[in-house]
Amino acid sequence: MRFLLQLAASALCAAPLCAGGSVALRAGTIHTSDGAVHTGGAVVVVVDGKIVAVGKDVAVPAGLRVVDYGPEAVIVPGLVAADSSYGDGQGGGRTADLLVDAVDGFDQHQSYLFALQQGVTSAYIAPARGRLVAGRGAVVKLAGPVGPERVIAASAMVHGTITAEARAVRGWWEPPIPATIDVGLGFEQAQLPKSLIGAIVALQELASLGKGEDVARLEAEYGPDLRAGLVEVLEAKTPWRIGADSAEEIRALLAFAKESGLPIVIDGANQAALVAEEVAKSGLAVVVEADYTPNAAPRDQGKDAGDDWRRYDAAAELARRGVAVALAPSPSMGAHEVRFAATLLRRGGLSADEALLGVTRNAAEVLGVGRRVGRLAPGFDGDVAVFAGHPMESGSATLATWVDGELAFSAADRAAAREPGARYQSGPIVLSVDELHVGDGTVLSPGELLMRDGRIVEVGRKVGRPSGAMVVRGKAAMPGMIDALGHLGLEGSNRGPAQRQSMSRIVEPGDLADRKVAMAGVTTVGLTPRSGARSGIPVMAYKPAADDLSVQVVDDPCAVRLSWSAANRRESGRGVAEALKKAADYAKKWTEYEAKLAAYSPPKAEPPPPPLPEKKKEEAKKDGEEKKDEAKPAEGEKKEEPKKDEKKKKKGEEEPPKPVTGSWEGKLAMDGVEARIRLLLVEDSGKVEGSLRCDLVSAELVSVSGARDGHKAPLSGACAAGAIAIEGEAKDGKWKAKVSVGAKAAEVELAQTSTEVLVARRSEQRKEKDEKKDEAKGAPKAPGVDPELEPLRRAMMGEGAVLVAVQREDEIVACVDLFESHGIQPVLVGAGDAWKVLDRIQGRVAGVLLSQRIQYVDPTQGLEPINRYEQLAAAGIPVAFHSLAEEGAADLPLMAAYAVSQGMGPAAALRALTSDAARILAIDDKVGLLAAGMDADVLLLDGAPLEPATSVLRAFVAGKEIR
Amino acid sequence: MSMKQHILPGALACAALSLLSVDALAGDGKIAIKAGRVITMNGAEIKDGVIVIEDGRIKEVAAGAATRWDSELLDHPELTAFPGFVEAHTNRGMDRPNENIEVAPFLDVRDSIDPINFYFEDSLRQGIVALNIQQGPMCVVGAQGRVVRPFGMTVEDMTIKPDAGLKIVAGSRMGRSRATQAMMLRKSFADVERYLAKLMQDEKDGKDAAKREALFQGRDPEKPENKEGRAMEGVAKWKLSGFEIVGRGLVDKKQEPMLRLVEGKLMAFVQCDGAASVHLALEVARHNGFLANTVLVLDGDSFKAVDAIAEAGVPVVLGPNMVWTERDPLNGKENETFIPSVFAGKKVRFALQSLNSTSQSLWFQAATCVSYGLDRETAMASVTSTAADILRLGKRVGRLAPGFDGNVVLASGDPLSATARVEYVVLDGEVVYDRSKDPRAKQLLEGVEQLGAAQQGLPDEEVDPHSGQKKPAKNDKGDKTEKKD
Repeated sequence: MRFLLQLAASALCAAPLCAGGSVALRAGTIHTSDGAVHTGGAVVVVVDGKIVAVGKDVAVPAGLRVVDYGPEAVIVPGLVAADSSYGDGQGGGRTADLLVDAVDGFDQHQSYLFALQQGVTSAYIAPARGRLVAGRGAVVKLAGPVGPERVIAASAMVHGTITAEARAVRGWWEPPIPATIDVGLGFEQAQLPKSLIGAIVALQELASLGKGEDVARLEAEYGPDLRAGLVEVLEAKTPWRIGADSAEEIRALLAFAKESGLPIVIDGANQAALVAEEVAKSGLAVVVEADYTPNAAPRDQGKDAGDDWRRYDAAAELARRGVAVALAPSPSMGAHEVRFAATLLRRGGLSADEALLGVTRNAAEVLGVGRRVGRLAPGFDGDVAVFAGHPMESGSATLATWVDGELAFSAADRAAAREPGARYQSGPIVLSVDELHVGDGTVLSPGELLMRDGRIVEVGRKVGRPSGAMVVRGKAAMPGMIDALGHLGLEGSNRGPAQRQSMSRIVEPGDLADRKVAMAGVTTVGLTPRSGARSGIPVMAYKPAADDLSVQVVDDPCAVRLSWSAANRRESGRGVAEALKKAADYAKKWTEYEAKLAAYSPPKAEPPPPPLPEKKKEEAKKDGEEKKDEAKPAEGEKKEEPKKDEKKKKKGEEEPPKPVTGSWEGKLAMDGVEARIRLLLVEDSGKVEGSLRCDLVSAELVSVSGARDGHKAPLSGACAAGAIAIEGEAKDGKWKAKVSVGAKAAEVELAQTSTEVLVARRSEQRKEKDEKKDEAKGAPKAPGVDPELEPLRRAMMGEGAVLVAVQREDEIVACVDLFESHGIQPVLVGAGDAWKVLDRIQGRVAGVLLSQRIQYVDPTQGLEPINRYEQLAAAGIPVAFHSLAEEGAADLPLMAAYAVSQGMGPAAALRALTSDAARILAIDDKVGLLAAGMDADVLLLDGAPLEPATSVLRAFVAGKEIR
Repeated sequence: MSMKQHILPGALACAALSLLSVDALAGDGKIAIKAGRVITMNGAEIKDGVIVIEDGRIKEVAAGAATRWDSELLDHPELTAFPGFVEAHTNRGMDRPNENIEVAPFLDVRDSIDPINFYFEDSLRQGIVALNIQQGPMCVVGAQGRVVRPFGMTVEDMTIKPDAGLKIVAGSRMGRSRATQAMMLRKSFADVERYLAKLMQDEKDGKDAAKREALFQGRDPEKPENKEGRAMEGVAKWKLSGFEIVGRGLVDKKQEPMLRLVEGKLMAFVQCDGAASVHLALEVARHNGFLANTVLVLDGDSFKAVDAIAEAGVPVVLGPNMVWTERDPLNGKENETFIPSVFAGKKVRFALQSLNSTSQSLWFQAATCVSYGLDRETAMASVTSTAADILRLGKRVGRLAPGFDGNVVLASGDPLSATARVEYVVLDGEVVYDRSKDPRAKQLLEGVEQLGAAQQGLPDEEVDPHSGQKKPAKNDKGDKTEKKD
């Protein structure tokens, strides 16, 4: 919602050249830099670019746009960069030149977003560097319409320095035109200063020249243009901002100020801590610059005992003595580093609030613009910066920057302005919590987590805050929970899909139920059909609530589910054994093939491949199967639907118009933005109904309906953006369609990716064709992929999980033995008796999915309840919770909380919900832990996890909040 | 791809210019040109038009204009006649474009223009009939420019308009920030003011240093025109009282050009490297009273200041790079701006500059404008009539109309077409370029060797790779290569 508000605000502000905006900005905390800090929610009211009211109980004028940044946000005056790199350039030829106006170097047409995105709204521009007097500095606004209003002070200060920087001025030589025998070429005149004393002497001479003393000699020395400027600045009492860093320079400057009476501002003041007392006594204003050059190799500072190494404690020492210091970045840092500069200058004990004053009010006052900017007070310019925390705490990201009541930067806008083609559009989010439960038992307290682009970037006690990061605070956070085995997404279907069908086809972006489950805490589900062949049922790990198809599937299949027990107990395990044997043979073929392939080197000249070798080349067994399938497709009731289709297909070349039932996919481009579009349609006797998903059209699924006539099937529907119409001809699996949404329209070519709507009610028997590669003669032949055996083979290679339903202790042991002989650690499902054979399965199973019965009473043991979860966990055997339900998965956290109430360790229960569940499903490379590189599935809780009273406040799936 | 683009002057630097000018020497400024299509840039095009030129001036342009019995006739119904292109600003054609001295208004490009520079020859091939030659941008106040035609043995012979204007640079340049440049620019005017004040004071005080300097520079301050002419006249914004006592003859030659600028008697071509410089340029021009005589020569993102330019009402010469690309700071997307369209949209008069003297000469620049959607009229005008207007030569060049200089270019097709080539250039009624007699073009396009050209390292004959037989060596008899366009 906050994002939306900001977006709306930015859209409204698009009107150009307004005199200043009107807006009310609300946040949890407001630092006015005017003596007050409002906490607990306050508002700044800006009307026509000027602040009219600030405070807690301020009435917002009716109709005024209100932007609320939330309780965590901090509003401060727009930061004032008391130095910047904007006007830098070579100075004039003279050692002192007042004609160089920094404002001439200010390019209003340039974007200052780099500084604005750090909350900086005004900046000082130096005329030049490296001169005793380089010219006159200016103070400007970094945003707003082009015009004189952008310049706050054109002649803010006389800018100069007495540091070594000024001593490299070359001699002055004016070539005579024309040079003749009489005139001569002249010679280079040396210019002051060559030393600190020279600098002070030169300053004294300038003061004299300004007063009209010794004019002829001094004009010969400094040029004829200087005096008028000197007179002007002396009359206007323009402050002289003179650079002085070492203690000697500062002392010399103090003495000169005392003697001349000029309004000196000490600039730089790196070593001012050494002379803090004297500076404080002098009453001169000071701009302390953080003398550090980021993004560059460090420079050496001298090995002699007398060399002054840079210090950063000047501001603290001066503030301690009551000096209202302005803090500034060094010119090499640039205006955008005001906040880093100020935090660096806190060294030595400057408080965050004092530092904030140093880059707002104090900076504005030193620059002579303290009546317009630097404070949030009525009458001041509506320059406001909004941060996700105290701006002087390292890492509080900028949320927005307002200049004259107009939005100049918005982190939310930036996130929205990103390339729409990017896979994820979520900006960086920082979770800052009291307890961060990583998922493996570790708890960081306090802890922080940074997620970006759908992944966790960093986890720690304190993490980075990249530009535009949104900070979310809370009590606790934990990884999204995993339902190790559930049915969410099957929509009530009892059918089991054929093994060859990828379950990812039935995945639909999160609907309301999916999101509710996620809000309950379960973000990943090991989805498995309710029934299936005994030879193996796939399990797919996916995130039901994610709204982007591309991030939903975690692994498909991540596991295969087998059943050990048979109705006839004597048959128990036989099926599994057979499957494993087949799988072992299959795996062997592959191993051999890989070995052969590694040894094979292709012949040099490759003749063109014979025209039709594929059939024979392809594995005979699979072909046979395919034919069998085609010949008698009605193997079971689940094949009823496809039968019709396939019969139609066989009737000659010329295909009659086919039903549009199925899924159609394509790329829709509108307004230069491209997004995936997917139609799921069901046709029933000419009537077509279905759904459309496309991020460009709507965030929700849009239902569409229509009727098919021949190849044409016009569809219509409605969404938030207006009426939707799809027209065009569907032919041979291609649908050239015109999609119109509201007033917009676009052409799109849809391709049929399936002929069925795969919500698991019906399954498709179409075999996925393996890629037929052109193989050179003599090259080893690939054995072909057997989708039934492939999961087992993967498990043998240690890449997938095998879930075996097994109950009794003897069976458990037999099962574990069998799997061990194939090098697999199975996951036992059910395994009611596992607790009885702990010592025999320890270290030999990948985990156990116990039934949902947590409190178990073994009649042979009396009435004392046993918690098998606790027992297994205590034995070091990973356990996980699973629902075997659809949206019932929402109860999983309660199940775990109950297990804890029944004696299970909370840490173990948390692991069982997260990292252990991920490991059991072999998806621990992506989910289950709060660690860098993992998917950003995170829950924000209002209390300790697994406390029954704790609820999930916010849930993030793949970095996006689920609402 | 046009053959124009293949003409490489550097590669052909071994021929005599005289070959080109044979016809010209015979001319007497009397010629009639018949062309199938006449683009006048002065009203509608004329089909099968006749352009009558007498005494070097156009006498008549009409479909059935009568031609004199004794005048030369250039009868080419297959060709298109147009007034020729006007290069509104260039630093080429001189021995060097820049000077060391930063403020040097007393210099004149006359002393630097090199009549035998290949640039001028190339300009003829590209159908350019007038060029405003200005000093390069490495200065504050540069030399006085000059509009020349690309033909003539001496600079005077070439000159169309001396004193074409002063070159002023408002942008930052190598080693100078914009603020420093601004300081120096303002100071150069302040110096003139200070000089005049001193001149007046000296006159009051009876000092004769200025008189002696004038005599040294070859002016007699006692001559009536030097005595009566006032040191400060015209429409100058800032004036010093008491100038009546100072005669024009006393004003130093070094200061004169700046003074004339301030007085509104000289144009200024102010170079801007970006939008910020435009504001400086306009401010300086306003403050010193020469805004009405200012032409902005733009570069970089100067177009962003188009509102200020439109408000000031000054014409502009656009930089040779007409497309500005910039990244959106929010999302990093590249945005492209076609600069001429910006100015056309704000109704600012603009002329174009060549990017180079061969392949991307003015015809290419104008054609690029058309390809970017600018209307043909505006595009064509920006390299002919508007360019001439901006140079204050709107009654002499850039159009085919009675009274104009007798400049006509005959092209083999539409002047903006990539496949058309300039066949004839007539300047002041004389045929100065005839492509059929252009030895360098012949060599490049038809393989015709120039007299005395050495065939070093080139095989006399080639072997046909298919038949294995020797191909006949190319010669200049009837084996003309087909033009490839």
